[in-house]
Amino acid sequence: MNAQEHISPEDLALHALGSLPEAESAAASAHLAQCAECREQLAEFSGDVAMIGLSMPQHPLPAGARQRFLDRVAADAYSSRPAPEEKKPQEEKPLPERQASQEEKTLPEVKKPAEEKKAKVVKFPLGAIVPWAIAAGLAFFAYTLNGKIATLNDQVRDESGKVTALKAETAQAERVLDVLTSPSAQRVLLTASKTAPQPSGRAIYIAETGSLLFQANNLKPIADDKTYELWVIPVNGSAIPAGLFRPDATGSASVLLPAIPAGVEAKAFGVTIEKAEGSDTPTAPIVLAGAAAAAAGE
Amino acid sequence: MDSVGFVLTGKNTDFPNPIMAFERTIHNDHELSDDQLLDRLRQSDQQAMAQVFDRYGGMVYSVALRVLKDPGQAEDVMQEVFFQLWKKPDGFVEGRGSLAGWLLVLARNRAIDQVRRRKPTDSPEDVVLASKTNLASETERNLMMQKVRGILKDLPLEQQKSLELAYFEGLSHSEIAERTGDPLGTVKTRIRLALIGLRKALA
Repeated sequence: MNAQEHISPEDLALHALGSLPEAESAAASAHLAQCAECREQLAEFSGDVAMIGLSMPQHPLPAGARQRFLDRVAADAYSSRPAPEEKKPQEEKPLPERQASQEEKTLPEVKKPAEEKKAKVVKFPLGAIVPWAIAAGLAFFAYTLNGKIATLNDQVRDESGKVTALKAETAQAERVLDVLTSPSAQRVLLTASKTAPQPSGRAIYIAETGSLLFQANNLKPIADDKTYELWVIPVNGSAIPAGLFRPDATGSASVLLPAIPAGVEAKAFGVTIEKAEGSDTPTAPIVLAGAAAAAAGE
Repeated sequence: MDSVGFVLTGKNTDFPNPIMAFERTIHNDHELSDDQLLDRLRQSDQQAMAQVFDRYGGMVYSVALRVLKDPGQAEDVMQEVFFQLWKKPDGFVEGRGSLAGWLLVLARNRAIDQVRRRKPTDSPEDVVLASKTNLASETERNLMMQKVRGILKDLPLEQQKSLELAYFEGLSHSEIAERTGDPLGTVKTRIRLALIGLRKALA
């Protein structure tokens, strides 16, 4: 295919689906880089392909999938903050375990050529055996070495993961101390909205850095498919979810430094009961609530 | 922005639908367009990321699940697609189609890459779509889903078959020809006709 010869609509349709064989696909890409007309047609077909995705029967997400994703985003946002000595651990974040285990599964296949070589040795006459035996020996050595390298790689990955986790823990602990001891932190007492005096919560908040600590006591137990959710109610705008929590056996619970935007001036804090994976908007009734202005400077 | 405040009226029940309906009524007052959410993503706004995820997560997951047939792997693909958007929101170039379509194409392509055990075949920046169908609203998405299902079902059976093998299994046209016993040219024509048939019916 040359630059002048346009790609046939059939091939463009296949290209949009990724169904062109590699060589043809490379030639098509080279032509597309220079031909606006073909690019336009490809975009039409790609748009069609996108629409096919809508025909899928819709499945609910696996339990906890939303939280797992948002946790990953929060961890990334946290690690990407400009902080001294912080590298960017998330960029090197290991693949999800399932993918890693798949890679491991492919290892035996990689080793196959070496094994085949060994099998062939037997068929050669005696004079030819020596070099082949050396080759087989080397192949076997490489095979063993590969195994060792893989094990060492695993160890390195494991160790660097631990270092990253330790760094994150230290940074987290430092921030907790900062918030607890900062004279500019707002200290807010949250009490039950109705008459029952027992459940109570305390929020400590620094708007400037978006740092929030929350501790609650005497909370009622909660059904398995529900969760308590903490909310920051900004002076402007709608409630910001500030973490999910479940009380322990004594009814106590805490939320430390949830991922919330910095610089949000809060007028109140609240707690609601939500479905287990949490919610973006609070659902009545309010279990605990506290106005920031009333408690400021406490 | 007007303040919803924290005092909310609404029924708290154990049934997901009334809750979701209730959430939607609040949410709609502050519904942001995809472009607005993308602007916020560029400033690393986690709330915006959550909103994009809530809007399109189910759709992206369902495509990956259909291709991979494994919830764990489908979740991995879904995570990768959204995390890619989080890390590089500029990978989606505005004016190159809808965000929903872009996410769907990426999810399907990543899932196929995994089925075929190959490295990613394209970069997100390469995905350019002519279709700008706005799927930001749930109603619009549901309508469009029904419509597309109906259109695909009405395509001639052999076109459906060829398209399915290409879309869900990531087979090349020669592999499809081998599988169905049809000549190569016929397979190619069927796939083109199927895509154009879908486009015309949606127009």
